[in-house]
Amino acid sequence: MKTLRAQLKFDFYRVVGRNRSFQFFSIMMPAAFYLLFTRVLVSGSARELATFKMQYMCSMIVYSGMLIALMGIAELIMRDRDRGLTRWLQLTPTGVAPYYVSIGLLSLLMNVIAVVVLGLTATVFNGVRLSAGQWLLIGGWAIIGQLPIILLGVLLSFIDRAETLSIVGNLITFPMAILSGLWWPIKMLPAWIRPVGELMPTYFVNDLLGRIVTNGTLRITNFYGTATWIGGLLVLVVVVTRYRVKRGDGVVQS
Amino acid sequence: MTALIKARHVAFSYGQHPVLTDVTFTVQPGEIIGLIGENGAGKTTLLNLLLGTLPLPSGQLQLFGHGPGDSAVKAHLGAMLQGDVVLPNVTVGEYLQLAAAQFAQSLEPQRLLSDLQLTALKHRALNGLSGGQLRRVTFAVALIGNPDLLFLDEPTVGMDTNAQRAFWQRMRALRDQGKTVVITSHYLPTIQDVADRILLLQGGRLVFQGPFEALQQRYQRVVITCQTPLPVTPFGRLAGVVTATKQAAGLQLITTDGDRTLQALVPYLKDLHQLTVHRESLADIFVQLTGGRAK
Repeated sequence: MKTLRAQLKFDFYRVVGRNRSFQFFSIMMPAAFYLLFTRVLVSGSARELATFKMQYMCSMIVYSGMLIALMGIAELIMRDRDRGLTRWLQLTPTGVAPYYVSIGLLSLLMNVIAVVVLGLTATVFNGVRLSAGQWLLIGGWAIIGQLPIILLGVLLSFIDRAETLSIVGNLITFPMAILSGLWWPIKMLPAWIRPVGELMPTYFVNDLLGRIVTNGTLRITNFYGTATWIGGLLVLVVVVTRYRVKRGDGVVQS
Repeated sequence: MTALIKARHVAFSYGQHPVLTDVTFTVQPGEIIGLIGENGAGKTTLLNLLLGTLPLPSGQLQLFGHGPGDSAVKAHLGAMLQGDVVLPNVTVGEYLQLAAAQFAQSLEPQRLLSDLQLTALKHRALNGLSGGQLRRVTFAVALIGNPDLLFLDEPTVGMDTNAQRAFWQRMRALRDQGKTVVITSHYLPTIQDVADRILLLQGGRLVFQGPFEALQQRYQRVVITCQTPLPVTPFGRLAGVVTATKQAAGLQLITTDGDRTLQALVPYLKDLHQLTVHRESLADIFVQLTGGRAK
């Protein structure tokens, strides 16, 4: 516990507290997108607009989580490996487990911050009003829905080259965001591509959050879908990690 | 006394390229071991196997009676590997605090910084330090767990003269405290001075292990230097002489039989000045063994 506390403190300052670009791209940019798309580029009846402002808030919360995990965390883990941090931690009695737990918890914390920032933006600028229970459910499900994305980020971090990681990260983040209906409603996509979008982990959580804010009926497939993604990616992360450890990855040869 | 490190028939290859072949040695508690060899001789690979960061495909390795990488071993281990941890947005003090938190019983970071004269760097960002400063911080991190066994891979690279001197003084202090140290370095004169035993790797094989004096015995060549106006040619034909060179610093003869060469020099004595005779240093023997080639 002492180690995890120290690791959390260490990581919080370097990853969040003193890292302005991470704060901007992961939190402020989705908030700016939210304002742009709900206050400038909008049309429809007052009722449709009110619903859109709530649902789009959920989409940007999920999108923010994607940016945190797939662009921020994946690159952070890769760079920590390149800079020798994970290798050094491997040599210590507590190993790398506290490090990965800390990065995971920080990622979730960032997601909570995203919920707060986007929630405040939606409340202050767009007059969105939700009950305390709804906010709690949003926060809780945003965190659970973030888990498969974090695991995907960990998988991406195994890519050895920063340039490749950046390309692959973009190739996953933006198509997944569009296909799962984070940038605009999924019903606006061609009918043939929608079934693909509806299999994305971000779709399940976004659909769930959208139903929470509109007091809609919760769909069991969203829970199953999220659980399947978490289970599948967890297995993949364990398998790849074991393979890399066996290969002696990150070790300087001489 | 029970050996702290036991290595038996250790072998390792990267693909088809053998890096270590049949390496067997032991290290006793309190010993300082100088692990030397050319670039690519397998020193760092051996350290990585000992640390458990590379899987051991062949042979046996034990540290403190456990396999490499065992958490029981890690609690007693400090390592200073090549390549320092250089993170942005992290200060030296924060790095050392994190390092201290990895151990159940660690040294007090503030005191260690003070002992190693690093207090002035405490609030400096890691990525703003010079190479030598980073090595000193990495050394502090290696010591923070108060380890019984230290692995130091090229610890003084980038350090200025004062920092190197302070480092080697610290090494002697560690020896006095009974710590066991395995150190690789290209600063052979200092290794010769500080190491109790030398492990010499050549082409992945352990070609010598023992005290430096035993290495000298084995390669008992003597170096004779002097100032002389005479040409070098006749000296090259003297008994025992293997090389004779004349440079600005004077004449240098390397001989396998110092006594006979000195007797052969008697007729020339009136033209020889500032004559010195000494056995080859570790660096000389290293050059002799490796043929002076750099990889």
